[in-house]
Amino acid sequence: MSDRAAVLALRDITKTFPGVKALQDVSLTVHPGEVHTLLGENGAGKSTVLKIIFGVQPADSGEILVDGEAAHFGRPADAMRAGIAMVHQELNLVPQLTAVQNVVLGQERTKAGVIDWAEARRRARTALSRLGFDARSDVPVSTLSVAHQQMIELARALSVDARIIIMDEPTASLTTQECDRLFAIIDSLRAAGKAIIYVSHRLREVMDLSDRVTVLRDGKRVDSLTRTQVSGEEHLVRLMVGRELAAIGVPRGDAPVGEEALRVEGLCRPGVLHDCSMVLRRGEIVGMAGMVGAGRTELARAIFGADRPSAGTIYVRGKRASIRRPSDAIKAGIALLTEDRKNQSLVLGMTTASNTTLMRPPTRFGFLDRRRQSSMTEKVLRPLNTKMRAEMPVGKLSGGTQQKVVLGRWLLSDSDVFIFDEPTRGIDVGAKGEIHTLMRHLADEGKAILMISSDLPEVLGMSDRVLVMRRGRIVAELARSEATEETVVRHAAAE
Amino acid sequence: MSTTETLPETLPPPSAVTPARDFISRIARQAGLLGVIVVLGLGFGIARPLFLDGGNMLNVLLQASVVGILALGQTYVLLTGGIDLSIGSVVAVAAVCSGLMSHTLPAGIAVLGAIAVGALCGLANGVLITITRITPFIITLGTMGIFAGLALIIAGGQAVYGIPTGFADLLAGGVVGIPIPVLLFILLTVGSALVLKFTTFGEYLTAIGGNSEVARLAGISVGRNTAMAYVVAGATAGLAGAVLTARLGAADPTLGGDLLLTAIAATVMGGTKLAGGEASMVGAAFGAVLIATLTAGLTTLNVQAFYQQVAVGGAIILALVIDQLTKRRRA
Repeated sequence: MSDRAAVLALRDITKTFPGVKALQDVSLTVHPGEVHTLLGENGAGKSTVLKIIFGVQPADSGEILVDGEAAHFGRPADAMRAGIAMVHQELNLVPQLTAVQNVVLGQERTKAGVIDWAEARRRARTALSRLGFDARSDVPVSTLSVAHQQMIELARALSVDARIIIMDEPTASLTTQECDRLFAIIDSLRAAGKAIIYVSHRLREVMDLSDRVTVLRDGKRVDSLTRTQVSGEEHLVRLMVGRELAAIGVPRGDAPVGEEALRVEGLCRPGVLHDCSMVLRRGEIVGMAGMVGAGRTELARAIFGADRPSAGTIYVRGKRASIRRPSDAIKAGIALLTEDRKNQSLVLGMTTASNTTLMRPPTRFGFLDRRRQSSMTEKVLRPLNTKMRAEMPVGKLSGGTQQKVVLGRWLLSDSDVFIFDEPTRGIDVGAKGEIHTLMRHLADEGKAILMISSDLPEVLGMSDRVLVMRRGRIVAELARSEATEETVVRHAAAE
Repeated sequence: MSTTETLPETLPPPSAVTPARDFISRIARQAGLLGVIVVLGLGFGIARPLFLDGGNMLNVLLQASVVGILALGQTYVLLTGGIDLSIGSVVAVAAVCSGLMSHTLPAGIAVLGAIAVGALCGLANGVLITITRITPFIITLGTMGIFAGLALIIAGGQAVYGIPTGFADLLAGGVVGIPIPVLLFILLTVGSALVLKFTTFGEYLTAIGGNSEVARLAGISVGRNTAMAYVVAGATAGLAGAVLTARLGAADPTLGGDLLLTAIAATVMGGTKLAGGEASMVGAAFGAVLIATLTAGLTTLNVQAFYQQVAVGGAIILALVIDQLTKRRRA
């Protein structure tokens, strides 16, 4: 494929942030009718590339060519005018407006100074129906599923006739069926001659979807391969990490499964949880699989006292525990590492030390002991191989490091039962392995671990036992030997 | 998986993260405010040399102290992400109560009584907010009216006169030439700055304002700590009411309206975010002094009161604009 046919080309793009070279001489070419995937660990520079293409940030040097001609994007509006659209990872819709209003937002046509809603509806529905949008287009989008909201963003791109569509981790919060539908949409866009720039961490879908893969590592382009040149997922991992990576999962040590640490009986929350019962024993990691929306997070929150169940009993170490709020659960020795670190686990504006010691700040004569706060933080995080300074605002740390800060906080709390909700979502491959090792280590120390995960290889690789939830019920309990991709998916998706 | 240990983790730009740099950028704002105060003072001094007279400067601080004390209390509330619109009315209630109490009770008790009345008002705010979960803006808008009415009812619709000299001396007098309100203001500033940085209360308020769900899931009692912030704000308003009564020699039940907005302006100028999670006590104090300096200076220049209002309003906006611009440059 020659440079001439390219609809978009980056040439030797370099971008420096104070003290860090975010991108160095990165070049890539995007052709019409092609899905071009950007792959790399967190911090490899993918987001920076997208931001430069979309005019959010200027490059320090290098050039962007659209249809072979140099283009300068000072702001996103310039990029949009050149036919580039972006579907953001955090969806960029106005939640109170309807699908129609969101699709035409900023592109409304007027008749005698009044918005022509009939025309807007026609235009929006044309774009939406091309995507197979089957929800209501006249209700606030906040009432729609994430998958539908994503279609609305795509429809917005189509309605302005974008030729280049950037998709930043579009499948991160979609169920398997929703993903399949998205892939079908992407196929039809490709067939219509659109160029798609795709970012995802999920190697299998990258393999399935891409015509070309560009791998970034530490701000540099490692390689750009056509689909046929990629030999397999391991090939991509090798390029991303720069070395071979062991298979997911850490095998059980020889620590025997001990006594019961947590027993849940008949936990209910109307419409969300139905008669959930389970047991966790010391020394084991119990995986919990299920579709998004099956009630796994809700069950964890009910056990932890974050939401009040309508019925059910919780026993900790064989004794009935009255858990009415999170502080009761913490006192009982239960830890919850939430799936949404940024909104539920960390106060981003506070320092790493403050976040790590949030549950029990060290005091001396009634006053906070800042020095001990820092030393405690260092002491608990160093062994987790964490690169940070205690005084650094936690919002500036990478996803993997943030997860370790959350874990550090709970290690300081002397908990016996650890509930991990999507412990490695959005975390790069290397840090993922470390988190897995730490979880196994905790189990070997005699902690009981419940691991909620949508990442099937993770569930299968890590769990000593697998629970599957569907529609608010625990529908299956599988021993390690019974748990395969097939059995888990069958239980999770039955009906 | 020993191989993972060698994996380099991406560190954020070092310039943005060194503790020293962070500390400097945090005090830069306060230093900047202090600089503006000094420049303003010198400017007024050049125009009217009497402005820099020691007595006059103390007078400016005295003017700043009531607003300053209120601003400090408001800072606790803003830190949690809330707001207390009722503090002006609490000043009026406390002023009236302190005036009436001073007729029969020892001066010290009357002052403590005013603080207690203020704290009670704050408690009412705090409890209403945490129990009803209605936004603080609405609740305190309501109690602002209730407390203002209560002040008039208690006072019988008119100012309370006949404040005994003992009461006036206790709060309006001086120690080694420094007026007691100024001393209280300084003491409260230092004390509050320490509370913020070196107590779990300060740490918890920061966490609640930063993200109350995170605080709740970390087992922090969000309701109790939030309510306490309003109690502190109420208590400082009570103290401010007593100080005003002592200085004016009378307790006016209609006091307070202007004080509220000036106190919030001082707080925000000092770097406290209305959205919560970030606050500076020293900044709030400097903000109050800056506003008082500007007002006093314009008065010595014989600028009409109407124009003074315009100037103070402009200064508040200017301060925040400069703040935005410097932040953008740093980012």
